[in-house]
Amino acid sequence: MVRYIIRRLLWVVVLLFLVSFITFLIFYALPSADPATLRAGRSPNPQLVEQIRHNLGLDKSLPHQYFDYMKRLVLHFDFGYSYQNNISVKQQILDRLPASISVAIGSAIVFLITGIGVGIISAIRRRSLLDRATMGLSLVSISAPVYWLGLVSLYLFASDIGKFPVPFLKGAGSYVPFSQDPSIWFQSLLLPWFVLAASFSALYARLLRANLIETMSEDYIRTARAKGLSERRVVFRHGVRSAINPIVTAAGLDLGVLLGGTILVETVFNIPGIGRLAYDSIQNSDLPMIQGTVLIGALFIIVANLIVDIMYAFLDPRVRYS
Amino acid sequence: MPISRLKTSIAVVTALAAVLLIAACGGGGSGGEAKKGGTLKVLDTAGSIDSLDPGYWYYQSDYQEVGFTTQRWLYGWKPSETKPTPDIAQALPKQSNGGKTVTVKIKSGIKYSAPLQSRTVKAADIKYALERCFLPQVGNGYANLYYSDIKGVAAFKSGKAKEISGIQAPDAQTLVINTDKPAGVLTGGGALGMPCTIPVPKDYAQKYDQGKQSTYGQHQVFTGPYMIQNDGKGKITGYKPSQKLVLVRNPSWDKASDFKPAYFDRINITCCSDATVAAKQTLSGQNLLSGDYAAPPTPVLKQALKRTKDQLSITSSGGNRYISLNTTVKPLDNVNVRRAIAAVIDKTALRQTRGGPTLGTISTHFFPPGADGFEEGGGTKGPGFDFMSSETSNVALAKSYMKKAGYSSGKYNGPALLTIADNVSPAKETAEAFQEQVKAIGLDLQFREVPHATMLTKFCQVPKAKVAICPNLGWGADFFSAQSLIAPLFSGENIVPSGNVNTAQVNDPQLNAKINAAKQVTDPTKAAKAWAELDKDVTSQAYFIPWLWDNNVSLESSNAKGVPSKFNSGAFDYAFSALK
Repeated sequence: MVRYIIRRLLWVVVLLFLVSFITFLIFYALPSADPATLRAGRSPNPQLVEQIRHNLGLDKSLPHQYFDYMKRLVLHFDFGYSYQNNISVKQQILDRLPASISVAIGSAIVFLITGIGVGIISAIRRRSLLDRATMGLSLVSISAPVYWLGLVSLYLFASDIGKFPVPFLKGAGSYVPFSQDPSIWFQSLLLPWFVLAASFSALYARLLRANLIETMSEDYIRTARAKGLSERRVVFRHGVRSAINPIVTAAGLDLGVLLGGTILVETVFNIPGIGRLAYDSIQNSDLPMIQGTVLIGALFIIVANLIVDIMYAFLDPRVRYS
Repeated sequence: MPISRLKTSIAVVTALAAVLLIAACGGGGSGGEAKKGGTLKVLDTAGSIDSLDPGYWYYQSDYQEVGFTTQRWLYGWKPSETKPTPDIAQALPKQSNGGKTVTVKIKSGIKYSAPLQSRTVKAADIKYALERCFLPQVGNGYANLYYSDIKGVAAFKSGKAKEISGIQAPDAQTLVINTDKPAGVLTGGGALGMPCTIPVPKDYAQKYDQGKQSTYGQHQVFTGPYMIQNDGKGKITGYKPSQKLVLVRNPSWDKASDFKPAYFDRINITCCSDATVAAKQTLSGQNLLSGDYAAPPTPVLKQALKRTKDQLSITSSGGNRYISLNTTVKPLDNVNVRRAIAAVIDKTALRQTRGGPTLGTISTHFFPPGADGFEEGGGTKGPGFDFMSSETSNVALAKSYMKKAGYSSGKYNGPALLTIADNVSPAKETAEAFQEQVKAIGLDLQFREVPHATMLTKFCQVPKAKVAICPNLGWGADFFSAQSLIAPLFSGENIVPSGNVNTAQVNDPQLNAKINAAKQVTDPTKAAKAWAELDKDVTSQAYFIPWLWDNNVSLESSNAKGVPSKFNSGAFDYAFSALK
């Protein structure tokens, strides 16, 4: 197991290197806009543009630029400075990380609880009214775009602009860090958590329902029942444990993606997270910031993937790493 | 009650009401007196300020959020005025030597914020501020336009001189600027009312101006009524890019020598809200004024016009929107084809894509209202060119111009023209409407929609990209100066390989000479006439087809009164705004 983890960790390094290289190629070699011209104001002269290009190091060859970037990153964990505001990329990412973690973890808790709960109930009460209602609702949740759902939830329930304001559901722009005020932090994130979790919950519920229905028809479930185990024990110890593996895979990867930023939710609810930072930096051709946010996002996904693989060994006795 | 007393009472009440009404209007608009104190909240949607560095500030949100509030300029701008007001300067500049020397006396006793609270502003600080605007690490976008005629600028830019010899500070209170030729933008004070004249103490700032990019902005000292929250030791703590900007009162500010009332105690600016949500929050909330957006999304605007019109501030932005036609690409090298396009477009329909009449007035010539020379150029009626006179499409006229251009059928029959448009609403819809309209004269467009920054820096502003038509461009005057509307956009001397704003690539020696002559006119009345003549010339040639004189639509909460600044395209000036 230890050898497996070490091998996977080495792959993490290789993958991050590849991601950095591909990101560099996309954004530095084929940038969507010229950062030097953007920095030089609305009516620049060529001399100024070239001087800015030189100052930003954009006049060097692409391999040279990439080597410089990786050297700083590997030796000093330095992502460079934003072209837009000349503030350290690392500092800005670390500044915004708590907000993204808050959104991601909170919504993961919501979608796991609701998704797994609804999935189990629907599977064991198959074709009941409750099953039909929750599966119908799940279709709506999957189909509703997050951006639209966010706006609708704000217009309906937010304490500032809602038609039916709920006092503890704070509106957009009310996010404060947990360390500053835990109560406001919680209230400002309730709506984003549920909005973000809606489609994930629905997907997980449908996935688990399908898996559980299939699992519950297996021979070993019949055997468990024949042994006189309680239905609750049969469902949870034998049925769910087996059916939940795909959910764990999906949840791990989804959490990684969410930690890397949730652009739409962060935008609608004005939460200063990594996703919004990535979006703004792409708009401004802020290449070091794009590179930094992409690498952080990739790191989360790769690590989440690794954790999921390791968890398999604990969840499924059939899985053994050697 | 006797009739006479009743009449007297009615007269008194009427007079009183009139006085109250006038007082209310004088306070800036729809009722409620300005209240001192309180915290203003501002919701930004588009990324807030571009930079902390005063030497970089050039755009609407920079001026609005930090330029007017935290710093004093050599010359400032009262919200409703179009002429500069002495701020750090004692009076308007004095010109001598045939307009080639400009002398400005500055006020004494204007202090900096901590950690330089014991120091006062000296003329040498403004000299350094102007010089650093030419440093690439500052990245200023207008110094070359307005200050390049100052003696010694070329030597300073090339690194041959450590200072600009034409800017001198013979004593602490005197600034002298010598130019190679008369420069109307300097003698009139307009170009000295730009953030490059915000004082920067050289001995303090120079260490931050080293390296790849200046970091002075993050350590700057303030002279205005507010300062960005800081630790008092020269480090800003109240700014997180695209998150928050906190302005607090500057204890070093001398109210007696400033023309700004600065009512609020604190200004909290939050970025970056969704535009629709921000607009709704502003309209239904308290203590809120809109931030860095020129107009709310169309559905919100329509709703607000019906329900909360008194919370909208609609003012001319002093800018225009135009369609650029590249004169180096056939058939747009033919003036009659360009005029045909001007005649065929339906400007009313184009305006509708942005939200309708609230968003502006249909243009009849290039200069927008408020610019020097606008009235001399025909005002709203315009110079009377037939291809610019109709607000809707005039296909017959357009076809007649196409026939004059040699297309006997009245329709173009050549290859498709490369057209690069913005891919974001409402500009996207404007471009798509334009694409449909020009089909009437046979113009087939090779139409591509790309992000705004890409549109400018990879296509429209890059001559070698050979883009024929850019339908989503706009321009606004700096300090109401007609020069800033004409020289960058139409002078062939300004065609550059990248960042080229002369997108039509006009290079007419006669026009260039006329522009250079107008730049040297220092008499304001004569200058206005000279620029108006140029406005007529460029409109006549239809290099650009101006179709809208833009309005700025700002929002305010029911208990807040925003005061729009003419200088800053109609955006609220927070140093004059207040709670009711």
